[in-house]
Amino acid sequence: MIKFEEFVLPNGLKVIVHEDHTTSMAAVNVLYKVGSRDETPQQTGFAHLFEHFMFEGSSNIPHFDSPLQNAGGESNAFTSNDVTNYYDILPATNLETAFWLESDRMLSLAFETESLETQKSVVMEEFKEHYINQPYGDVWHKMSALAYKVHPYQWPVIGLNLSHVEHVELPSAKEFFFKYYRPGNAVLVVAGDVTVAQVKNLAEQWFGEIPAGEPLTRHIPLEPEQTEPRMLEVTADVPVNALYIAYKMCARMHPDYHAADLLRDILSTGESSRLYNKLVKEQKLFSNIAAYTTETIDDGLFMIEGKLNKGVSMESAEKAIEEVVLQMVTHTIDEQELEKVQNKMESYLAFGETNILNRAMNLAYYEMLGNPNEVNLEIEKYRSVTAEKIREVAGRIFIKEHSNILRYYSKNQQ
Amino acid sequence: MNRTIFPEIKTVDTVSFPETKLLHLANGVPVYVINAGEQEVVKIELMFKAGKWYEPKNLIADFTNRMMREGTTTHSAKEIADSFDYYGANLQYSAGFENAGVTLYAMSKQAAKLLPLLKEILTEATFPQAELNTVINNRKQRLKVDLEKNDFIANRHFVSALYGPKHPYGRVTELEDFKTIERSDLLSFYQRYYHPRSLTIIVSGKFEESLLQSIQQYFGSAPIINKEVVTDIVHPIEPSTELIHHTEKADSVQSAILLGNICINKQHPDFMKVSVMNTLLGGYFGSRLMTNIREDKGYTYGIYSSFVSYPHGGFFEISAEVGKDVKEATLKEIAHEINRLRTEPVSKEELQIVKNYLSGKIMRSLDGPLKFSETLKGLLTYGQSTDYIHEFLKTVKEISAEEIQVLACKYLDYDQMYKVTVG
Repeated sequence: MIKFEEFVLPNGLKVIVHEDHTTSMAAVNVLYKVGSRDETPQQTGFAHLFEHFMFEGSSNIPHFDSPLQNAGGESNAFTSNDVTNYYDILPATNLETAFWLESDRMLSLAFETESLETQKSVVMEEFKEHYINQPYGDVWHKMSALAYKVHPYQWPVIGLNLSHVEHVELPSAKEFFFKYYRPGNAVLVVAGDVTVAQVKNLAEQWFGEIPAGEPLTRHIPLEPEQTEPRMLEVTADVPVNALYIAYKMCARMHPDYHAADLLRDILSTGESSRLYNKLVKEQKLFSNIAAYTTETIDDGLFMIEGKLNKGVSMESAEKAIEEVVLQMVTHTIDEQELEKVQNKMESYLAFGETNILNRAMNLAYYEMLGNPNEVNLEIEKYRSVTAEKIREVAGRIFIKEHSNILRYYSKNQQ
Repeated sequence: MNRTIFPEIKTVDTVSFPETKLLHLANGVPVYVINAGEQEVVKIELMFKAGKWYEPKNLIADFTNRMMREGTTTHSAKEIADSFDYYGANLQYSAGFENAGVTLYAMSKQAAKLLPLLKEILTEATFPQAELNTVINNRKQRLKVDLEKNDFIANRHFVSALYGPKHPYGRVTELEDFKTIERSDLLSFYQRYYHPRSLTIIVSGKFEESLLQSIQQYFGSAPIINKEVVTDIVHPIEPSTELIHHTEKADSVQSAILLGNICINKQHPDFMKVSVMNTLLGGYFGSRLMTNIREDKGYTYGIYSSFVSYPHGGFFEISAEVGKDVKEATLKEIAHEINRLRTEPVSKEELQIVKNYLSGKIMRSLDGPLKFSETLKGLLTYGQSTDYIHEFLKTVKEISAEEIQVLACKYLDYDQMYKVTVG
């Protein structure tokens, strides 16, 4: 149970405070509701590049990191399809330093051409390190484009290609900032050895004067329902064959979501899970296999991926996965297996709460989804999922017409 | 409001951390207990001196650890996994150079129920051949994929250049090595090294005292016949005579760079000071290497340096993956930063940031029972007490620019470093 208080500044900034006096640290988390789904097809990778740019100096502070490090703190950020999340963790006695830094970069950035150019190079190296110079590094590029035809989830967060990153110019960065980085599109969470009164004062003092900006409207195209199975075959210089299957699934806020998440656990979480036992240990078709969901604001993907053992054909590997997932549609799991994944979920959520930064991030994330108190209701939602509900939801996910298969062949093994 | 003025900074003068109690089970096994925090979860770490240092041939420590969960005299691998998963628990197995063992993560209310099976894994594992074959196959597949990664290859060349291919720190795994693993190797390693005489337990989280009685019940009864810890083994170092090792990869768009040399470990009196010097050079995001090579030149996504410490030795390393066309330029800048550290005293302002950053980092490493248990484990590995933490904080506060310059001259010499590049 995470206790918190919330308030909104007149400029629209939502502030959430979680007091925990068992720690001497403070976590400051600023979430901006902007991600790669807000990009245009001509300028992919922009939201992530912009995240880098946010550390390159703001209106009054030449460099973000050094004053924070000087205050004994550390900072980082990540960009997803839907959000860009920044966080600072520092001794609570120096809390004001984080307010000073975060508010100044919400007010305005330095917008220097030189630092934009450097961060473009850094991001291009990041792109090369993780997506080009890496076996199977382009899988997500291929799969996103296969599964989405209209929605911006069709390109990965890093961007479609190096050239999109290379061609970003300063004016579009400014425009992006004043559109998406306004107080009304942000959530500030402060957690740790702080008080509500203290945070209220600091928030008014440092964030209060930031202009609200224009109200934001989004026009994100909806992905039409997929009506036939899709397949892509790729051959690359990788050592072993791999198979990736993406089924369409509901959005994060859909009532089916919790059942789908438990379905994922039944198939793939822990060594007692079904895919691992049937396909790795019993049938020995794969050397590893995993399932996960993309957990996106708009309709997402239920992914299954695995590396094939030598001599196993793609067709038989696919068929074996299909058998395991269709079992979930035709048979209701027993109570014991349901309790198992519910217990695992309870434990997962409890361990996640041992860390104040995680608690701060969770509050920001659930506020972004609509209500921060949802974080405290999660366990009840998982507990109330029935075996029958899991079967129903499996039936809505594992539909052949909604499947996207990527056969990734090794040049040496095909 | 004047936004150009820094809010006042308070420096960290003292640190506090949860109280640690040391108990001994009836058979003498030490149990470190950190009962603190708010969340009703517990982490029970069982650590044996059963790491790679003690293995008779490659992969034995690793596979003994990996295979314990694959079946016991009374339970199959699936039954073991079902039981832990049913109670929402998670087991993490690890085999390092010195220690190996298993860590149980569970809801506090469930933990005691899992101890009988945990004990079974550690005392009655059978290492079934069929399961061993599957694990070997899966690990070979994983190695094949890793062998396509430049940073992975660079690391293999680097450690074997430093220590020689026979030393546990320098030995790398080839695909053929998996053929040499025999079930009997695992059994005898298990019987010899997973023994209460080399066991240390750390329990952290928020839990009822009765959990400690259960730990006594399951882990305190096996007798310790011989109190002496496994006799130490000496492994000679056979460093490569060549400093430069390059592997060409025509289709790479980046090069992995790894350079460094054998150096002091945590037991050496200079180690704390050297850690401060390393932070300045490449140990944090504001470091000189990161500022120059990433933030100024844009050659890489990240560059780091560290003094890697093991109980039987240690080394210094700098690592990065950089654009292929800027590999030479990066090496030149690394040499420049090392020489600058040797020839110029660091400015008061820059040193102060490093000191403040490190003090905050020490605080973070003590925050909460689970985090603190990791820090404590690190100390125990070197026979150090929590006094080390206070001493380290004091060192950070007192170290001078001159001392850093002297240490840089003593430990960092670009020309004498091994230089491994792949790509």
